[in-house]
Amino acid sequence: MVSKKKKKYSTGEGAQFMTRKAALKKLQLSLKDFRRICILKGIYPREPRNRKRAQKGAGGIKTLYHTKDIKFLLHEPIIWKLRDLKVYQQKIRRARAMKNYPLMRKYFRDYPEINIDHIVKERYPTFVDALRDLDDCLTLCFLFSTFPSLKKVPRDQSMLCRRLTVEFMHAVITAKALRKVFVSVKGYYYQVEFEGQTITWIAPHHFSFQPQSKDEVDFKIMSTFVEFYTMMLGFVNFKLYHSLNLVYPPKLTAAFNSETDKELIDEHAYVSERIAAMNMSLARITGANEVEELPEIDIFHTEDEDPQKLEEAKLEAEKVKKLKTMFKGLKFFLNREVPREPLVFIIRCFGGEVSWDKDHFVGATFDETDESIAYQIVDRPSMEKKYLSRYYVQPQWVFDSVNVRTLLPINKYLMGAVLPPHLSPFVDKTKDQVYMPPEEKALNNPDFKPLDDDQSNSEIEEASDEDNEDKDNEEEDAEEALTKQYQQEVEQDSPSEEEDADDDVDPEKKKIAKEKKKAMAVTSGVPFKENPYKKEIEDKQAFRLREKLVRKKHRNLYKSMKAGQEKRKKEIWLLRKKRRLHDEKVKEEKKTEKRKQKMQILEAASV
Amino acid sequence: MSSIKKKKHVSKKNKKAWRKYCDITDVEEFLEDQRLEERLGKFDVKPDSELFVVDTGGEIKTEEDVKPLSAKLLKRANLPATPKCYEVLLPSSKVPDPNAKRNIVKQIGSKPTALSKLTEKRRFEKGVYQKKIELARKNRRIALDKKRKNKQIKQNFGLDLWGNDLPEAKGIPETLVDEFIPPEAQIHNVLPEQRLRPKPPLSKTLMTRTAVERPHPGVSYNPSFQEHQELLQEVVNHEKKMMKKEAHLLRVTNGMFRKVTPQEKENQWKEEMTMGLPQPHNPATNPSDSETDNEYKAINPPVKNKKKDHKARRKQRERIEERERLKREKINKKKITDIYKLRKLETLITKKEKRDALTRSKRAVKKAVTAETAVPKINAHKTPLKEPDFVSPEQLSGDLRKINSTTNLLRDRFESLQRRGALAASKVMMKKKRKLKAYFKAGHKVTENDIQRYVDKKAGKVSKKKTKLLKA
Repeated sequence: MVSKKKKKYSTGEGAQFMTRKAALKKLQLSLKDFRRICILKGIYPREPRNRKRAQKGAGGIKTLYHTKDIKFLLHEPIIWKLRDLKVYQQKIRRARAMKNYPLMRKYFRDYPEINIDHIVKERYPTFVDALRDLDDCLTLCFLFSTFPSLKKVPRDQSMLCRRLTVEFMHAVITAKALRKVFVSVKGYYYQVEFEGQTITWIAPHHFSFQPQSKDEVDFKIMSTFVEFYTMMLGFVNFKLYHSLNLVYPPKLTAAFNSETDKELIDEHAYVSERIAAMNMSLARITGANEVEELPEIDIFHTEDEDPQKLEEAKLEAEKVKKLKTMFKGLKFFLNREVPREPLVFIIRCFGGEVSWDKDHFVGATFDETDESIAYQIVDRPSMEKKYLSRYYVQPQWVFDSVNVRTLLPINKYLMGAVLPPHLSPFVDKTKDQVYMPPEEKALNNPDFKPLDDDQSNSEIEEASDEDNEDKDNEEEDAEEALTKQYQQEVEQDSPSEEEDADDDVDPEKKKIAKEKKKAMAVTSGVPFKENPYKKEIEDKQAFRLREKLVRKKHRNLYKSMKAGQEKRKKEIWLLRKKRRLHDEKVKEEKKTEKRKQKMQILEAASV
Repeated sequence: MSSIKKKKHVSKKNKKAWRKYCDITDVEEFLEDQRLEERLGKFDVKPDSELFVVDTGGEIKTEEDVKPLSAKLLKRANLPATPKCYEVLLPSSKVPDPNAKRNIVKQIGSKPTALSKLTEKRRFEKGVYQKKIELARKNRRIALDKKRKNKQIKQNFGLDLWGNDLPEAKGIPETLVDEFIPPEAQIHNVLPEQRLRPKPPLSKTLMTRTAVERPHPGVSYNPSFQEHQELLQEVVNHEKKMMKKEAHLLRVTNGMFRKVTPQEKENQWKEEMTMGLPQPHNPATNPSDSETDNEYKAINPPVKNKKKDHKARRKQRERIEERERLKREKINKKKITDIYKLRKLETLITKKEKRDALTRSKRAVKKAVTAETAVPKINAHKTPLKEPDFVSPEQLSGDLRKINSTTNLLRDRFESLQRRGALAASKVMMKKKRKLKAYFKAGHKVTENDIQRYVDKKAGKVSKKKTKLLKA
């Protein structure tokens, strides 16, 4: 007997995939509902390895889903809800068609909502998982919070986004979790750190709403994403507030309560309310203390860990600790023309107090006339009335200080000054072999001092100074030589004296005694001195041996890596040399000029 | 065998038949007994202690070999049963209803009668129910408020999703999460923790690609000169690549074909269409016509089967043989020379192999690089390539107040989702508004007025359109 013939595509890649149409048929859903449930459940189309086989021999490009994914969807209780909703929508449609408007209104009022919190839990089993996936969520929520009500977006969605984002920012403020800021043309990049997870998001600049052209983005889909993300962000906020001992939901300004949302129509009023809400301090859970500061890093000695890395980590932790209290106790006053939202957020994140003009916007906490204000942030070339007790700085000073993690000297950022470039903190740390001009180095590391710094400072006495230094060096050398000579002489003297003392004893006996002594004597131990040069050579040899052990598979890669390193090193060296030569040339020119001036003065004096 | 059997006469003719139908069980039993007695000794001689044993263990339960249900299955089997706490509410009497087919009689007043309806209406008009109505309205409002509040609670996210005190977190089925069911009963019915069908892992592109990419340092609102130049260089390179691609496409499609002027095209068309049609006589075009004397002449001469003679055949064969011989000779010569060329050949081969290996590795690297950033092909539509954020130097003011961005952040997000493979690339189709055609439905009740109205309406529409056109 012949065994039953196997049907084509019943196993393998052909059985693994399913077209969208087949999935719709299997789930008994309309395309709209299917799209929605896929986004909510996080199921996305797949790209097969062999398309022809995955499509069961059919040509063209079809949207394919994993059969397993669809089977997973099949168990979702929401599917039943969606089917019920279909019936409900039919009822609404019927009421409208029959012009039974009261009934229709009632249906709309009692529209059943789908609860998706179990999906959030299912997609992110732990809190850290949710934090890890917060980038997209925050960016979209911040974006949607700037939108007015649109046709394809539910009315309360942008309002909810507004509330949730402000709540999240408050959590960041109390946790002091902000690490990096970058002002780009696209928007503000923020990076925060929660539970060891770095979260980066973009907050758009505040422009008046730009109309979105219809054919670029599918609003319906994006709104579904936002629907899920708001749910997720809400629960994340709840968890964050609880871990920070804060009351959730926080009582912010009146504008954030859903009852009054119809009253605020003006866009500017919205924004100012939002900022005012951010300037409030939140209620803590009664009986809870401040979140205690993390203790210093304990060092556990493990063999495999690099001490250098450990040291680096310690340094980093110290820097972060410093950053957290950077603005503590400082009072800031924002001028009218300054973008308030990012500045309020950042300053409050590091413990500063912020206020603004009471007459223009709500939520100001202190007046401009307050003498205790330390910094006033202005973005205009000059001001009529200035206070002596405070610094007038440009907003970039705040951003740059955060990125450098210390309060930068303000002289470059004073009112009306031409600003230094705003550098990105999001630079790849792995690309460390880049030429960095001394100015940039100084900006990144305030402790850094260029080699020729003091020389440039004391330009006037340069010529004479150098000569002095040379003399000093010579003198020192001479002293050293003298001491050395003396020591040598002492050493030579000491054995000769001993010999002199034992001169009159029999020489043979002496010889024997000497030999015996030699055999018995305990010679004084000489501390083993490491020759650094020799050690270096040995290390190099060992390294070369290890290099030879690189597997053949990786050898080419290793070689190319090494070549790249050499090349980059050479480039850096070349640029440094150029810079050095240039600097020297400039210095020389200055010197000659000064000499000339001196000569002229002298001549003038003599004449 | 003491079964009662109907006696039947059977023949016991043969030995076999005799044996078959003779009942010898009693004899055999007797013999068996005897043999047993011989083996074990006589039954009445044995003492009691050997025959009987004092039962001290009690009754032994016979164990059934039914497989015990697993804990998971047991719990699942118990799920449909009514919870213990509800058992009080069930009828406890064992006595069944004597009349199983009892008619349920509705109480008086449960269904309004025609008379009661009338009286009610009368009383309503009198205003007796005013208070009731108000009360009902109030109740409804309270219910609505409660509902709204419930919705708000959902928006308030008042629940620690990742905490341990959530009933869902403990795996308690949804049907048992109720305020009336005590926590002991809930925990009693905890379902197995493992999901029936685990969620398959996400695709690789989704897992590895970041949602928010590191910004190029050149897109800062106040970038350093060098970084901005780098960004511009990147943009220029990108643009150049695109232009090259476009030029290639043009060359390969438009440029490949011969171009024909419309005049030429028409001429060609004319020629093709008139092919085979009798041409008007033009003596100037083919003067040779007159020379042929009207004799028919085919364009191709007829094929003749001309046989080759012996000599021709021999010559042909000789030619072929000569050619073959020369070829062979050449090959033989080459064989000899190749022996001397061996080294050169070897180097040639090794060189070629090296070259091939190099190109292969290069190709593999290139392929890997493209695969790393390639947009997953999910749909027939194409996702647009990622374009570097561009800030033209004129737009750069270095001033926070004067920032104006050209990038659309929403589109950026949308395309990022597509590039990660979460969304299929798509073209948003505009829905066309259907035009409804209006008809006049002729019925039996059509009056002159109706017709006039319809005509007027139509005329009005037309006139409106005309005015619009005129305005335009």
